[in-house]
Amino acid sequence: MRVRVTNGRVFDPASGWVDAARDVLIADGRIVADDLPQPGETVYDAAGGVVMAGGIDLHSHIAGGKVNLGRLLMSEDRRAHPEPFGDFCGCGGGRALPTAHATGCLYSQMGYTAVFEPAMLGANARHAHLEMADIPNIDTGGYLVLGNDDAFLQLLAQGEGQDALNDYVAWMIKATQSCAVKLVNPGGISAFKFNGRSLDLDEEGPYYGLTPRRILGALQQAVTELGLPHPIHLHGCNLGVPGNIDTTLATIAAAEGFALHLAHVQFHAYGQEGDRRFSSGAAALAAAVNAHPHVSVDVGQVMFGQTVTASADLMAQYRNHRHASPGKWAGMDIECDAACGVVPFRYRDTSFVHGLQWAIGLELFLLIDDPWRVFLTTDHPNGAPFTTYPHLIRLLMDKPFRDAHLARLGPAVRAHTGLGEIRREYTLEEIAIVTRAAPARALGLADRGHLAPGGVGDLVVYAEDSDREAMFAAPRLVLKNGREVVRDGAIVALQAGSTFAAAPPCDPQMDARMARWFDEAIGLKAKHFRIADHEIRGGRGPIRLECRP
Amino acid sequence: MTEPAAIDDTTEGAAGAATRRLTDLACGFCGLGCDDLEVAVTGRAVRPRTACPEAAVLLRRGPGPPPGPRVEGREVPLAQAVSAAARHLAASRAAVFSGLGTDVDGLRGLADLAVRFGASLDHAGSEGLFRNLDTLQRTGWIAATLAELRTRCDVLVVIGADPRRAYGRFFERAVPPEALFTDDRTMVFLGSGPEAATRDQLAGHRLIEVPVVPGFLGEALAGLEAFLRGRGAAEFAGALDGALGADLAELAELLRAARYAVFVWDAADLPAPQAEEVVHRAAAIVAQLNRAGRAAVFPLGGRDNVVGANQVMLWRFGHPLRTLVDGRASRHAPDLYATAVALRDADLLLHADSFRPRPPPAFSAGPVIALAHPATEFAREPEVFIPVGTPGVDHAGTVFRMDGIVCLPLEKLRDAGLPRLADVAAAIRAEDGA
Ligand code: SF4
Ligand SMILES: [Zn+2]
Repeated sequence: MRVRVTNGRVFDPASGWVDAARDVLIADGRIVADDLPQPGETVYDAAGGVVMAGGIDLHSHIAGGKVNLGRLLMSEDRRAHPEPFGDFCGCGGGRALPTAHATGCLYSQMGYTAVFEPAMLGANARHAHLEMADIPNIDTGGYLVLGNDDAFLQLLAQGEGQDALNDYVAWMIKATQSCAVKLVNPGGISAFKFNGRSLDLDEEGPYYGLTPRRILGALQQAVTELGLPHPIHLHGCNLGVPGNIDTTLATIAAAEGFALHLAHVQFHAYGQEGDRRFSSGAAALAAAVNAHPHVSVDVGQVMFGQTVTASADLMAQYRNHRHASPGKWAGMDIECDAACGVVPFRYRDTSFVHGLQWAIGLELFLLIDDPWRVFLTTDHPNGAPFTTYPHLIRLLMDKPFRDAHLARLGPAVRAHTGLGEIRREYTLEEIAIVTRAAPARALGLADRGHLAPGGVGDLVVYAEDSDREAMFAAPRLVLKNGREVVRDGAIVALQAGSTFAAAPPCDPQMDARMARWFDEAIGLKAKHFRIADHEIRGGRGPIRLECRP
Repeated sequence: MTEPAAIDDTTEGAAGAATRRLTDLACGFCGLGCDDLEVAVTGRAVRPRTACPEAAVLLRRGPGPPPGPRVEGREVPLAQAVSAAARHLAASRAAVFSGLGTDVDGLRGLADLAVRFGASLDHAGSEGLFRNLDTLQRTGWIAATLAELRTRCDVLVVIGADPRRAYGRFFERAVPPEALFTDDRTMVFLGSGPEAATRDQLAGHRLIEVPVVPGFLGEALAGLEAFLRGRGAAEFAGALDGALGADLAELAELLRAARYAVFVWDAADLPAPQAEEVVHRAAAIVAQLNRAGRAAVFPLGGRDNVVGANQVMLWRFGHPLRTLVDGRASRHAPDLYATAVALRDADLLLHADSFRPRPPPAFSAGPVIALAHPATEFAREPEVFIPVGTPGVDHAGTVFRMDGIVCLPLEKLRDAGLPRLADVAAAIRAEDGA
């Protein structure tokens, strides 16, 4: 089957095509070199439209235990957002925590074709994969949470060599069918189980006596030596704590020599200046990111309204739970692996702190120079539901619109942010970078995020509109693997997605070692922890990501 | 509950069939998720070798063939039973799906059926779950998974009756003698106390009994919470003046000094009028303890994958069990869609249970479709009976452990020609003209 998208303005920065007048030809689901029209090929006229590769979100909490716990706890979200779809759905709803089905539909209605769950716990990985298998129209993958797992902390504290650590990480990634390693509050989640309430970068945690710096370094080395495509995906120490900018800057300095991805940096860019002891650290953080080419970030933009925060960082969520709105929350210590905390939250534009969080996120987007190292996220649902992306895109592309929103915030917020002075407006090229080209490159997805021959036929046509929010909210056309799934912003077909996973090689001796660990400590057989290929996506198995040691 | 033809202890089942010994099997029956079971399989016969009494009964299978599908009491080919089920469903305006004892794929299949035909869904073992949800959804709590309990818990408080009867291997799994992070554990029984076997099993641990009659558990926990908040027994108007008050005050001290206290209860087994109150108090005590130290709840439950059923409902529909799926919308109302209540207005009952031969609830206002264990004995013959395989016996499958975090892969042990519930549901859904 051949599909031609013609007459559009192509924005494919990965291939160097910016506002290029060219056809995109897809044969049997993959993009092929342009060729003379053939009878029988399906032609989409994209005149007046902007053509991009399918969107890729590399940090969005869409599946697994904490998401389902959030659905259970925050029934208000589901009640407020009933089934919105047409004939293709009978099982959707929710906004901060949509059902699996609605997650796929809502993402694909915005032109996204791949989304990554950034905090999959080993013990809960099978569940996360079961949920992901039920998300239609988008490809998925999970990042394995390491660095608070007792097995790893024990190896590290006992002074095991880097080879053993690497083997452990490789074994765990393969066993859980993960595609990257996430490090959440290094050592902090474990510390909270021993009643530690905070843990800074160079503080020794309880029991193991390990500093977050040491844990980070060991995992960075492991990920590098195993050749995983994505560097350590770090949710750093002290999330949400005023003054945490110092820790974040120190973390960047500590990463010298290694690639590092800092997740939802907005939550890690707070100073302590001013009469309210809460200020923007965005300028300092942006300067550090600009100066360290091996560092990338996603922002975790905050938007006003009701949401739910869901994180593996129970230490931080315990701190936050007194701000829960509505006033309820749930936490869980999980299986010598990590934890989770789910806290409903309402960001109010009348709040100084929330207003400044909003401004800090935008400052970061606008002050970090290289769009290839900043990814568009709200840390869904923690900063806001992902459905706010079109609005966020307009805030980035449209200064008068941004200024009008800033003007609605209180004078105290405006006095504390330099946002009003920033002239930058994102171009369509930059939007194409931060929403598809850059995340694809960062994750090692060689055939995604671009429209060059060899790429998968994930393609979006947006109707040109000076209202960028309207433009990005309802694409004219979305193709997934070359087949139409969205037309004029509405779902017209459902397709099963795929799941990415890596399988770095690991010393077979690790099997025996892990069997012993699971028997003695966990009370579960290692062989039952391990997830087989046939358990992924209803028997179809994962798409293997290549490791380059 | 035993299948009539199941008693078979000879080594050779079917003539000449070899016996296979299968080890390290995961178990999906009570929700505790043991995964070290052992069976011997000869042809169709399954003989448990390592299993708790409940699992032994439920795993055992005889060498004979299972019954075939029946429509109106007559044996028919599977396809015909599937058509009949689809016809009944298509004709129904108020269907109730009960039982729901099946693996994740079976649950997905039932969810799809509900989307296609409209139905309310509830699990046969959801009573305890909803008593817990009353607190979890209103205030939330801090919970622990099994391995956290195993490795960390230094004070375990069992509320109510000894869980041994319902969860045979709970103490063996939850508080083994050696633990990673604690050298000594104290077991507190707040309620009716441990059974003799439990007492033996816990011999290595310090044991404290705080006898409380079942009807007084809520008050006792209120007292414990008051002591923990630094208030005295005075406000209980004398109710806590005696030995109980002294015990609770002492327990409060013990809990304050605990490094990781865990509270367990079986909500299904708590006395009805105050079950919710007990759960609520336990969660409040844990919240109070976490202000200065660490503590967690570990609610027992999860028989026949009820936890998995709730999880699937949540990611498919965004609602827990006891939800009506009607055309394109779904509505959650636990009071209306609990099986017993929903059946009052129902015109069809689809009873799905692949783990145990549990008969469907009594229902006479319309047809009954049973996608059920082959050994199910019916009080009245259902309009459609399709015997289905048991996950972990007849086919592989995935179930959730009671903590809702760990999912376990169940293995196929034998081939007796029984279809998966998931496949039967898919076939019904795909039926033309239904
Ligand atoms: S205790 Fe429960 S999980 Fe363990 S073997 Fe018995 S029925 Fe199975
Ligand atoms: Zn996140």
